Amino acid sequence: MIRIPKKGTPERARLIAEHKACIESMKGVPGCTILRCETPGDITKVSGGIHEDILLNRVLLRMRAAMPKNGKRKLVVICTEPDKSWRIGRLSGVRGVPPTFATDKLYDNEQDPQHDIFLMRLDEMEEVDGMPEQFNEGWKRRDDHWTVT
Amino acid sequence: MGAMRLTGYADAFGVNPGKTIKFYVNCDGPKKYKTEVMKMINGDTNPRGPGLVERLISADCNGEYNGRKQVIHSGSYGYVTDRPQLNLESFTMQCWIWPTTPKTHPKYWRHGAQGLMGKWCNGKGYGLFINENGYIELRVNDKKVATDVQVRDHAWHFIAATYDAETGEAVLYHEPQIVYALDPSIPPVKSKLGVKIQNAAGVPFTVACYTGSLDDGPLAKSSKPAGIVMAGHYNGKIDSPRLCKKALSRQDIETMKLGAQPGLTERRHCGPNGDLAGVIVGSWDFSDGINTLVGRDHGPYVYDLEIVNCPTRAMTGHNFSGHNFDWKHAPKEYGAIHFHDDDVDDARWQVDFEWEVPADQPSACYAVKLTTAEGDEDYIPFWVVPECGKATAKIAFMVPTISYMAYANEHLANNAGGAELLVYRVPIMQDQNMFLSEHREYGGSIYDTHTDGSGICLSSRLRPILSIRPKYDHFLMQAPWQYPADLHLICWLETMGYKYDCITDEDVTYDGLARLEQYNVIITGSHPEHNTGPQLDALHNYTQRGGRLMYMGADAWYWVHSFHPAYDGLGRGIVTEMRRCESGIRTWRADPGEYYHQGTGELGGMWRYRGRYLHSVAGTGMSSEGFDISSYYTRTYESNDTRVSWAFEGIGYDEKLGNFGFVGGGAAGTELDIVDTMLGSPPHTLVVATSAGRHTEAYLLVMEDYGFSQQGIDGTQHPRVRSDIAYHETPNGGACFAFSSIAFCGSLPWNNCDNNISKLVGNVLTRFAKDGPLPPPPKEAFKHRGRADYEPASLKTAE
Repeated sequence: MIRIPKKGTPERARLIAEHKACIESMKGVPGCTILRCETPGDITKVSGGIHEDILLNRVLLRMRAAMPKNGKRKLVVICTEPDKSWRIGRLSGVRGVPPTFATDKLYDNEQDPQHDIFLMRLDEMEEVDGMPEQFNEGWKRRDDHWTVT
Repeated sequence: MGAMRLTGYADAFGVNPGKTIKFYVNCDGPKKYKTEVMKMINGDTNPRGPGLVERLISADCNGEYNGRKQVIHSGSYGYVTDRPQLNLESFTMQCWIWPTTPKTHPKYWRHGAQGLMGKWCNGKGYGLFINENGYIELRVNDKKVATDVQVRDHAWHFIAATYDAETGEAVLYHEPQIVYALDPSIPPVKSKLGVKIQNAAGVPFTVACYTGSLDDGPLAKSSKPAGIVMAGHYNGKIDSPRLCKKALSRQDIETMKLGAQPGLTERRHCGPNGDLAGVIVGSWDFSDGINTLVGRDHGPYVYDLEIVNCPTRAMTGHNFSGHNFDWKHAPKEYGAIHFHDDDVDDARWQVDFEWEVPADQPSACYAVKLTTAEGDEDYIPFWVVPECGKATAKIAFMVPTISYMAYANEHLANNAGGAELLVYRVPIMQDQNMFLSEHREYGGSIYDTHTDGSGICLSSRLRPILSIRPKYDHFLMQAPWQYPADLHLICWLETMGYKYDCITDEDVTYDGLARLEQYNVIITGSHPEHNTGPQLDALHNYTQRGGRLMYMGADAWYWVHSFHPAYDGLGRGIVTEMRRCESGIRTWRADPGEYYHQGTGELGGMWRYRGRYLHSVAGTGMSSEGFDISSYYTRTYESNDTRVSWAFEGIGYDEKLGNFGFVGGGAAGTELDIVDTMLGSPPHTLVVATSAGRHTEAYLLVMEDYGFSQQGIDGTQHPRVRSDIAYHETPNGGACFAFSSIAFCGSLPWNNCDNNISKLVGNVLTRFAKDGPLPPPPKEAFKHRGRADYEPASLKTAE
């Protein structure tokens, strides 16, 4: 399994820059992926991002699949006013307990929180995420309630 | 962000002109709310589009109403109203259980003791429980006797408890069906309680809950029975509950596992033997009446349980042998009901206002808009549908109401953390998602799991369904989905000036061909995924007789649905059922032996595995899905065939078709259909445009199309990850045009409906809507074609 690039490495800086560029180009698209639109907001021609940077591709897949450590739950985006305002939240992991806001930052578009969550996850994930040294009893059972697995 | 203090629902999706539709509203806080009937045109608030378009309709129900709070008492259970024979001095209670959440998180929405069976309320009576620590517990009045071993989840256990009034002794048995090597033994727990049971008047005998309170307040009116509020809803299966009026020996308890035996040849009593026949109070057999809302009592008093909130039946029992998968063939192995604390079949709210729809009210999409002075807002959509036989247009929009019900109140953005892999980004939650994440009593969708993690296979429309709302973006695409996405199509029909009727899935299911044959053309919604058999029959019969079908989306005709017959008395299509069986795109997977519907007894799962290939209905079937961004189409040489070239009048051969749109940014996106003559597409089908080769890595081939988990199935690599726009003729001057992408309708309103997707659909609709059969294909088009065999263009060139 590949390792999550450490802070201060050129690989990490490259991933962040590419992710940011993709997110910027996706503004205006009713949808989002980590690819660059040749014309911002237009899906006619897309390239780069996960299709051309294999490390970025793999790190993002790991982040999407992984449960954060230390009892934390997954991050989500919460729309606080349709088409106007968004915030980053964190799921509770308990049925009937709603997500809570994870940061104070307000966003004026729905794409920018994706990039900030990418940055938060780079900080939260350990280099050896998902490797044997992280074994715990939860590996033996589905210790979550995810319906799509 | 609002707290959604206004929610509501109607008693019908479709209402005929001249008939009355009732509305139920929860207004939790504000003193007043305003109602306005709106004709719904567009529900997408994307700033690049036309925005919300609604037109106020003059209606005598428009006005201001007093607000009142109404709540949903979710959670399934069975009850028998208080009867003298249920008021006991001594007793034996016994049952099999398969608990799914014996111990819950302290913050779990219904954390606490769960009732298994008994007649207990507020420290009086008798009852069997799983207590908040996950131990089996007997309660006699306020005295408690518990085991000291947590009951194992997702495993069968035999549970029994006796109480002898004369000796004052209680005995509690917890006997797991499976005992692993390192499991501690669980001896019976004995305790001298020495109390006289206080049988409180009016407290019902319950299974899968206990009586929380007898309450004559307004919020208890929506409980069942009204005024009795249940608590301690149990999550899991219960099989073969028995109640006797004597403290039985362990030997007699074993015999009582047989239950009443009314079928004995020399019948002299209810069985299982003479002595026990004399002490049986109730002996319930859940394998009897699986398609009903009754838990049959085979005992002498016939105290059938009324089953509330439609728990899942046709569930394998403790004795499932695995030889028969159809409950109708081995009913005795299906004696379990799976109860859930978030089951809901009917919110049972009080009516707040009604609208007698004028006899001349045009058929269309409507909604009651609810607002308060404080800024609260909700919409209750419904459709005015002409009476069968009284069509008012040549075009009908078939509103995919079963699919709306399947997606009703979905929680995937909240619960399905793994859905990030599906959507290839972090989900965005809307106000509705936030409300539902806290209000589990509103029930989930058929895409969700219950709060205990088991799959939801039933969905009722008698509850507020917050996903059937305008201004609602779905996490799958950060864009409208289902109802608001179908309004893209309505917006286009209205802008282009087409006259159309609205008919619902229920209308087609119950009225069959008579409902469809009134129209020259039927237009589907963007994602009619969930269908009943009678509906598919009607569509086939319609196109066979010359009807024209415009399939405006993708992933249709996919899952087997049936309406639960026990609710027929309340209206059409109240509760729909679906099972996610061995294949198909499944957010949960049914357990072995649980593939057959409890309502109709038919095999659930994909229509494909019932031998009804999805491609056979309109020419294309689902091949892949991806939810990051959409793409566009280009024409194929088959689009120049004179059989279909009329559809492209005014569209250049090299044009990019639909590289714009409000769902994913393009016409080809989300879920995609292709032509496959091996899977039901007629061999004369023409592929007129395709999006092949343009999809991202997020798009993956459907699992029913491959046998191994393997690489190479994504949109950057696999040739079947594409959408095909396709056309084929049907007999007697009929035809099908399949646009084969859920995102497709999202391109129609782009640039005020002035675009090449709009042009293409307009050409097709105008031709299909004309009276009489379509012009016949040229003579040379009539020739034998194989299914697997065809003549490739490369061979033609070689000649």
